Amino acid sequence: MNPASKKKTIDMVLKIVLALVVFTLPLWLTSPTYLQILIFLFLFAYLTTAWNLVGGFAGVLPLGHSAYVGIGAYTSTVLFITWGISPWVGMWVGALIAAVVGTIIGIPTLKLRGAYFALSTMAFGEGIRVLVENTMTVGPFIINGPRGINIPLLPGNNLAAYQFVSKVPYYYIILIMLIVVLFITRYVSRIRAGHYLAAGGEEPEAAQALGVNVAKYKVWAMALSCFLTALGGTFLAQLTLYFYPKQILGLDFSFELAFIALIGGRGTIAGPIIGALILRPVGEFTRIYLSAVLPGLHLVIYGLVLILVMLFQPRGLVEPLTRFYDWILNRISGAETRKE
Amino acid sequence: MGLLNVQNLSKHFGGLKAVDQVDLSIEKGQIYGLIGPNGAGKSTLFNCVAGSYAPTSGRILYNGEDITGWKPWNICRKKIARTFQIVKPFQTKTVLANALVGAFLRTANVSEAEDMAMAVLKKFHLADKRNVLAKNLTIADRKRLEVARAMATAPDMLLLDECMAGLRHSEVDETLDVIREIRDSGVTIFMIEHIMRAIMTVSDRITVIQFGRKIMDGTPQEVANDERVVKAYLGESYGAA
Amino acid sequence: MTGAYYGLAALGLTLIFGVIKVINFAHGSLLMVGMFTAYWIIQLTGWHPYAALVLVIPLLFAFGYALQGIVIKPVLEAQREVREPTEVIIVTTGVWYILDNLALMLFGAEFRTAKTSLTGQVFFIGDYFLPKPQFYGVIITIATSAFLLWFLKHTRIGRSIRAASLDRDAASLMGINQYRVYNIAFGIGAAIAGIVGCVLIPFYYVYPSVGVIFDVKCFIIVVLGGLGSIPGALIGGVIVGLIESIFPMFMTSTWTELIVYAVFMAVLFIRPAGLFGEKRDW
Repeated sequence: MNPASKKKTIDMVLKIVLALVVFTLPLWLTSPTYLQILIFLFLFAYLTTAWNLVGGFAGVLPLGHSAYVGIGAYTSTVLFITWGISPWVGMWVGALIAAVVGTIIGIPTLKLRGAYFALSTMAFGEGIRVLVENTMTVGPFIINGPRGINIPLLPGNNLAAYQFVSKVPYYYIILIMLIVVLFITRYVSRIRAGHYLAAGGEEPEAAQALGVNVAKYKVWAMALSCFLTALGGTFLAQLTLYFYPKQILGLDFSFELAFIALIGGRGTIAGPIIGALILRPVGEFTRIYLSAVLPGLHLVIYGLVLILVMLFQPRGLVEPLTRFYDWILNRISGAETRKE
Repeated sequence: MGLLNVQNLSKHFGGLKAVDQVDLSIEKGQIYGLIGPNGAGKSTLFNCVAGSYAPTSGRILYNGEDITGWKPWNICRKKIARTFQIVKPFQTKTVLANALVGAFLRTANVSEAEDMAMAVLKKFHLADKRNVLAKNLTIADRKRLEVARAMATAPDMLLLDECMAGLRHSEVDETLDVIREIRDSGVTIFMIEHIMRAIMTVSDRITVIQFGRKIMDGTPQEVANDERVVKAYLGESYGAA
Repeated sequence: MTGAYYGLAALGLTLIFGVIKVINFAHGSLLMVGMFTAYWIIQLTGWHPYAALVLVIPLLFAFGYALQGIVIKPVLEAQREVREPTEVIIVTTGVWYILDNLALMLFGAEFRTAKTSLTGQVFFIGDYFLPKPQFYGVIITIATSAFLLWFLKHTRIGRSIRAASLDRDAASLMGINQYRVYNIAFGIGAAIAGIVGCVLIPFYYVYPSVGVIFDVKCFIIVVLGGLGSIPGALIGGVIVGLIESIFPMFMTSTWTELIVYAVFMAVLFIRPAGLFGEKRDW
């Protein structure tokens, strides 16, 4: 077999092995702690991929996306607690509301320049948080202000109520969600709308001169992103069965999503995943082992990594990692190194 | 009535009258030039026609339709394309991807648009560079890409904003040929240019602007011999290529 | 009155943003650093808080200068073609995270207060009492702004800063070392944050995340008053301060916060240039 096709074969084999591992993981990795870590990893990869639709492809920097996570979580939960509506249904309602809210916010703000847009998303995100923190009830719904909402724990596995005893079903749910959202992203990047979005993000004036109503596409991206983000919010709520405004609507959360995308590579499809793979384990392990001694260390690390990446690889780590992977494949298969 | 009619157009920025009651009329199939000393208001006029600025007063008619104050993307949909003086390629995208954005105006289907984009690139001799990232192109290639991309939208009228600035002598000649080819393919051209020999040789008619006002329009011959024009350019060397 | 020192803090920010076109998300953290520096100086030496200014100003200035040089400049260079580098926002956010959490790690999350000779002192004017520290704070604010205005107008460095803010490249063509100017501007901005920190010490709690509140407010003020405008920053600060003082009489303080955010959004949409900002083609 010649080196080139050998390389392709190795590449395919690696990918198949990876897929197998990922899909069968819960069967042999039984520690709930590690499963939880992975679940959160996938969740953040999911949320960041949704964020990426606006933050990467549209070229703006939304720093208030946690608001939509919260909208998803609160809507489905509140519907469940008050009227017994299954979160599987509630999550779509939440997603719709998030899309509508995102559109309403997006229309005026997406016209603003980069920095101003970022500020306005922050202001909005904080505004929502403050609003929720100060609301105890809204009509028949109990919001519970700053203390957050506890979802009543039902005995055993309850599919209709989106609750499971073991972590395994959650693992598969989020895995599927992640794969779906990746496909959605890939699809969007290939159709005309995706090209228009990228063009509008990079050189809005030129895009406009080529017939692209940049604002319209940005708003669409925003609506889609908010919709998907809210679905993730419901998942989070059902996973942890408890959430409160400072956590789920907080600036920290919004920033983390942005950081992951930026470190991994905003505007790329694999970027959020890589970013999540790097940042989340770091965050989790520092939190678990060091937070008693050194609180906030993981955030320091986040900040450091962020600065380093921005200084040396502003387009994210996807590029160099891809090249590295390519190089390894070349070494193994003996194929010629690609001429630059 | 011409293809493009600019009637009594004015654009004020606060107290500054960048464009002051300018009339001009471009016939279908013409290469129409716009010249004037620096700061005369040429680009502003262009931007009003292209939709980047909304005029303060006056009208712009295209094919009889009033397009005054329309947004740039709608103007493009009306088959008026434009290039920018400082080229704006999509730097992180390939040459093909750049042209693709233009071609998408005509079809939403990706492979159709790709074919159209490739056809345009071939005409502009950029086909072999289709996978090169725009930021890695030479300045001459970037300028060509700028025009090719606009042409990918299949316009009926093309606005060229100083597309020859900074080009070498031979490159200017090449560009002139390209412009003629574009016109021969049925596209009306409206261009701003500083390189006198270029615009004088290629234009059918020229309007001269100074301090925002039109000081004359006519054939290149008439313009070159007009006393007002010569005075306006006193100090500027003719044949700046 | 609150408005005054909000204004001052915003001043530093508007300078940085107006000049280098950098949105410094770490501004609040700089303020926090200033506060902690002053705090430790007071704890260790028992100096009067305003005396601490002598140390705080140069320290913060140097810190800001270094920060700009080490962290921000390389990003700006790489992004030279982009008019508004968003990478810088990201980097300053990183700085913010690092600073705030380092402080958290080193000093713990408790709220501290510094015992100073000024704390709790008041002037009595007829029936009203005027808290001394706040009053002095206003005076210092006005003094600093006046000084800054004078500096920008009449010193060579000041004028370089203003030139650079109008057009980066043109200024450098005229022999102004643009990066040095930026460093200085940033240093000044940081120093101002430090001053505010000192001023706040007598009557404000000191804790690692103190910067965050100010950060957000500062941005709101800067946008409100107009980027790059000093009087704008001050007036914006006063407005926000007024809102925060008056509205709590009618509604809870958190609704007041919402009002501030709402005003912010309104300004962004209606007049992004702010009250006094130059009209830019954003």
